Amino acid sequence: MIDRLFSRRRVAHLLGAALFAAAGATATAQAAEKVTIGALRFTSSAPLFVAFERGYFADEGLDAEFSFFQAAQPVAVAIASGDVDFGVTALTGGFFNLASKGALKVIGGHFHEEKGYDGSAILVSNKAYEAGFTSVDKFPGHSLGMTQVGSSFHYMAGRIAEAKGFPLSDITLLPLQKVGAIIAALKSGQVDSMIIVPHIARPLDRGGAAKIIGWVYDYAPYQVTTLFTSTNNTESKPELVKRFVKAYQRGIADYRAVMLNQAKDPAATEEMTKLIHKYVYADRPYEKAAPSIKAGAIYVNENARLDVGDVKAQLEWFQAQGFVPGGFDYRAIVDTSFVEAYNLPK
Amino acid sequence: MELRLDGITHRYGAVTVLDGIDLAVGSGQVVCLVGPSGCGKSTLLRIIGGLEMPTGGAVHLMGEPPEGCFNPLTYVFQDFALLPWRTAADNVSLVLEDHPLSAEARSAVVADVLARTKLTDFANAWPRQLSGGMKQRVALARALAVRPAVMLMDEPLSALDSQTRELLMEDLIGLWERERFTAVYVTHNLLEAVRLGHRVVVLSRRPGRISEQMTIDTPLAERDMADPILLAKAERLWVAMRDEAAAADRELLHV
Amino acid sequence: MSEVRPVPFRGGGFRPRSIGVVGPIVFVVLISAWEAASRLGLITPLVLPAPSEAAAAFWELLETGRLWLHLSASLQRLVVGWTLGTLVGVSAGFAIGLFSLARAGLMPVVSALFPIPKIALLPLFIIWFGIGEGSKVATLFFGTFFPTVIATYAGVDGVDRTLIRMGQSFGLTWWSIVRKIVLPGALPAILSGFRISASIAIILLVAAEMIGAEFGIGAYVLLAGNLMATDQLIAGVAMLSVMGLTVGFLISRAERLLLRWRG
Repeated sequence: MIDRLFSRRRVAHLLGAALFAAAGATATAQAAEKVTIGALRFTSSAPLFVAFERGYFADEGLDAEFSFFQAAQPVAVAIASGDVDFGVTALTGGFFNLASKGALKVIGGHFHEEKGYDGSAILVSNKAYEAGFTSVDKFPGHSLGMTQVGSSFHYMAGRIAEAKGFPLSDITLLPLQKVGAIIAALKSGQVDSMIIVPHIARPLDRGGAAKIIGWVYDYAPYQVTTLFTSTNNTESKPELVKRFVKAYQRGIADYRAVMLNQAKDPAATEEMTKLIHKYVYADRPYEKAAPSIKAGAIYVNENARLDVGDVKAQLEWFQAQGFVPGGFDYRAIVDTSFVEAYNLPK
Repeated sequence: MELRLDGITHRYGAVTVLDGIDLAVGSGQVVCLVGPSGCGKSTLLRIIGGLEMPTGGAVHLMGEPPEGCFNPLTYVFQDFALLPWRTAADNVSLVLEDHPLSAEARSAVVADVLARTKLTDFANAWPRQLSGGMKQRVALARALAVRPAVMLMDEPLSALDSQTRELLMEDLIGLWERERFTAVYVTHNLLEAVRLGHRVVVLSRRPGRISEQMTIDTPLAERDMADPILLAKAERLWVAMRDEAAAADRELLHV
Repeated sequence: MSEVRPVPFRGGGFRPRSIGVVGPIVFVVLISAWEAASRLGLITPLVLPAPSEAAAAFWELLETGRLWLHLSASLQRLVVGWTLGTLVGVSAGFAIGLFSLARAGLMPVVSALFPIPKIALLPLFIIWFGIGEGSKVATLFFGTFFPTVIATYAGVDGVDRTLIRMGQSFGLTWWSIVRKIVLPGALPAILSGFRISASIAIILLVAAEMIGAEFGIGAYVLLAGNLMATDQLIAGVAMLSVMGLTVGFLISRAERLLLRWRG
């Protein structure tokens, strides 16, 4: 099925190979293989930037290039269509639906909500806080601003409701499309709460614009973002995928060593922050960007381990909500042959 | 009612269109205004009708309007000016709607004027369904409906073909015989002027001044276009106008 | 004598006639071809779902009764937003067409604000009008207001001045002239403005329902897009299209009724 997808890149490859043959060149020096990485300019993509800047992809004989996106969904679409090879984004209803058509495979873990490390915060508007919405137990009867129906925020709300033992329908979920719009609605008291990454949540809390009343990891330790690629890549180019994952794991190792314990080596932290600043908040001067980048450090799974049990739980939740059709399970969308899989379902 | 024009002067910017027009129109008299194109005869008529402010001079109306008159100075337009979204009867009714008349009284007036202009069968026709002659009849009916003291007619027949024109002229004469309204009738057709006017006033080319006046004594109802006296009068008017018309034709338009 | 030949006919053409059955046939052929291509695997479900899948998604909406929820929410917003935009727009258009001061004051504002994509203002709309019905209706209001203003004042400008002079020459009151001459004279232009503003309102429905909408055809289409549920997406888009066709049909009927005089 995927073979019939339009892919300019694939055509280009074929043409390139044909020209090569016509020139009669012998493969003396193997040219670096080109891979395109779909990324968002978020601090959460930092391990990818580290691996690239430190030449880990080149070490694996990969000529990597970034293709930047505004949102997670298009990355998945671009990978399904063959325009992009690898991506790291959250698992959403849209992702699962695309994957259900056989085009995508989850091959590694990335950001994981983990106790003891900054993760997604639950923010409450001042108005709602003053009216008594001071703890997660008070969620029922309140509204939650989120980007879209079927987004990871939606899922987190579901997990919180589950953990606290009330139906999700007790929360009024308001899709507002953009994080900026949710923040505006929260500040003006039009939504009672939102769930957001720490480097956005903390300044809002500190500046008195909203209150943090809890952390998602307390209710739902879960695999937020994953590394994924096209089924075409895992099936026809597993060697290439392996090399990519190896470089990516080195990036993660460097990132974890420095960013998860920034006090240990301030010089190294500074250096890595500078590296990330090339990609994230590049429009702001370094002095202004650095605190956000440092605060945006998130827990990334060691060696890109994949919490398969949670991927299964997520898929089942989306299926139960009716956002994703039934009739397939996590095995159809996960390929565990590239990284260590843990929390495996029995 | 009588009309008196005192030194009417009109300018569009630097161009003088009318220059010191003095004219008196007696009660029940039909005065035809003729002149080369662009001499300002239509402008003069609009000034008389109060639709345009003259730069200088004034128009006076003397005497009492007839009983039941709603609109002493009533205009008849060259292109009929019928509302396409109203039927013939409703077009006539339009000009009565702002006056204190009961609905029955109004429809009685409408029926009466439509009958007088031979339009009874076409009361419910849309303007688009009517020929040019019929449309002008509706416009005449509308004018009659307000019982005008003075009719101001701006080339009312020039959009019509010659046969229709002939028929309508007869109708107009018939109407005048009954109503005896005062009228100022603008035309560029000299035969029309000698047929309908008690007096023919010739305007010169721009700036318009009265260059010639001619009185025709034959009663309107008795005029026959085969009459050599009338033809001679038309001929005389043409001689008086000919050079002016030729010059006006070669003039560049400034306005 | 040379030979006698008939004069060849050279006229004709350039006169499109309406052939009623062709439109539906084109639709049927297109959709059948699409369905066939999907069944034969020439079009993968990832690229485009089969029409039958979209129809199934629609059927599911109908069966669960959610169709009515979505439709009524959207229609309510459309009716309120469009009616308000039209009322205020026609009034403003008349003001611009009739009063020099309004023309001088409002025209630059209308010209400056018309090209602004209302979607770009959504974040501000949230703050001004809230995330409830306010911002949705406001989006539709602004979307319909501007084209209506422009259509109306163009219509008023286009009213034959001779007719207005005629009204004045018969001593009609100002209000009578506006009501009986200017309004009907501008009506054809206003009605074609309605056609455009109603289409714009339907287009903006998706944007309006981006903000905090649980129900609505626009929200349904957005959700389908977010979930990559392409069958629902096609079903939703088809509903928007049918809404557009219905509105077009209603306006045609209104035109036939109100503009009978045009024949």
